[in-house]
Amino acid sequence: MPADQFRPFAIQMVTKIGLQFSSTLIALLTIMLGSGTVASELENGLIHGILSRPIYRYQYILGKLFGLTIITSIYATVLYSAVLLIGAFYELNTITSLSFTQIAQGWFLYLLQPIAVLCITMYGSVSLKTVPNGILIIFIYILGSVGGMVEMMGLYLNNNSVIGTGIFVSLISPIQVIYSTMERVLLANSQMVSNFMPGASLSGSGKPASDWMFVYIGIYMLVFVILSVYKFSHKDIS
Amino acid sequence: MIIETHDLTKTYGNKTACSSINLSVQEGHIYGFLGRNGAGKSTCIKMLTGLVHPTSGSGTVLGKPLGNVSIRAKMGYLPELFRYQDWMTGLDLLNFHSNLIKLKNKEDQIKRVLKLVGLEGQEKYKVGSFSKGMQQRIGLACALLPNPKLLFLDEPTSALDPIGRKDVRDIIVQLKNEGTTVFLNSHLLSEVEAVCDYVTFINKGTVLLSAPIEELLTSKIQLSIKAEHVSENLFETLKGKYDTFHRVEDGSFLVDLKEREEITDIASAFFSDGSLLYELVPQKETLESVFLKLVGEPIKKK
Repeated sequence: MPADQFRPFAIQMVTKIGLQFSSTLIALLTIMLGSGTVASELENGLIHGILSRPIYRYQYILGKLFGLTIITSIYATVLYSAVLLIGAFYELNTITSLSFTQIAQGWFLYLLQPIAVLCITMYGSVSLKTVPNGILIIFIYILGSVGGMVEMMGLYLNNNSVIGTGIFVSLISPIQVIYSTMERVLLANSQMVSNFMPGASLSGSGKPASDWMFVYIGIYMLVFVILSVYKFSHKDIS
Repeated sequence: MIIETHDLTKTYGNKTACSSINLSVQEGHIYGFLGRNGAGKSTCIKMLTGLVHPTSGSGTVLGKPLGNVSIRAKMGYLPELFRYQDWMTGLDLLNFHSNLIKLKNKEDQIKRVLKLVGLEGQEKYKVGSFSKGMQQRIGLACALLPNPKLLFLDEPTSALDPIGRKDVRDIIVQLKNEGTTVFLNSHLLSEVEAVCDYVTFINKGTVLLSAPIEELLTSKIQLSIKAEHVSENLFETLKGKYDTFHRVEDGSFLVDLKEREEITDIASAFFSDGSLLYELVPQKETLESVFLKLVGEPIKKK
């Protein structure tokens, strides 16, 4: 590959790696923060003193979720800003060419991913002990990436059953869909996407997610929050 | 009644933690809840405080059904396995709990409870640096924050030294004088005996006995008699009059009496018989002896 063609490719790869790495980091950080949020207090008995106060159990869960969402959002915003600032500092045209709308949309999606992880983690924390919960949520997170890869392979192979399998896996774990959409928003004019991987994202998902997929993700998050509240409200604090 | 339960039952799978618990706790009383480890005492307290959902049965606490959240503003609870946010200072912890109960005059109240539990001047240190006894004291301070009408104490002196235990006993008596009802779960029977008005014995999740402590401890007197040259005639006479009259291994006699006046009758009988009477010791029933009779045997010395 000639050098003048390689440079844009390299810039896109560096941008992508920065986004992917920071996004994975924030997801793992969220899992670390969230997996023991209820479970550890149940395990060490800290919760007895709190729940014997005049607070409803849903308030406890929503309070935890709210607090962790704020912490996660701050971390995610710092990381997102860092990626963009580093890119701008080194004058990567993938970053310097971004419009305000792209940055805002990318930021929203960048935040949405750990918050979605948090919703699942919260349900796990109500149901399982800290360590098994952490392992399970990491597995679910990885499963999402696998789903995207399977869908992408299905597109290349033009095999509907493989595509369907990928979509099904993405429905179980739609976290990767959020990431790949963010990547599409931020790297919309990517030469690599248009030249080498038409119709596919860099992160290994197939077609761009539809608006309905985001409605599904919203419902998915809400269901896990409701399940957490329901399960915790019926739980014996022994 | 400040606490009333009807057939309160909790099962975990095949295991029954509490079975048909019926309690009636009168307002202003100190109520002792006694039983062996694993008898179901803590589970019962957790049902009353709304932490554990009963499998069946019903009950009211402070006039509201079990699990009611609003009553917890008037309730204090010191858990058995007390654990607090160890990164907080004592003052932070009390402020945190004051906020949970939306306490209005929190600064005054915090000062009051710190003084009450003997932690004045220690509140700026982190809870994690507290000794176990101090952690139990700060837990008690948290429980006392709302000026509770009803206070649940689950083993409140398990980590305290004898002076600390006495302090807690004094606090309990002071609370009683202020009209607080205390539901006390403790293994320290002397402690329960010293402060409680009413006790309930529980074993394997079932209530064995509920009675006013006065009734339990003064219902009978056991008399120990040391005498020699006791005639067979006197022995048979006393055996006929008192069913429980018997000779024990060391040669002395034991008999259960209903009234103290009977002691003089027995002394007269020995003198009339010409026996050599050395000792006549009325042995008061203790909570420990009642406890052992009800829920288990003492460990036999080899």
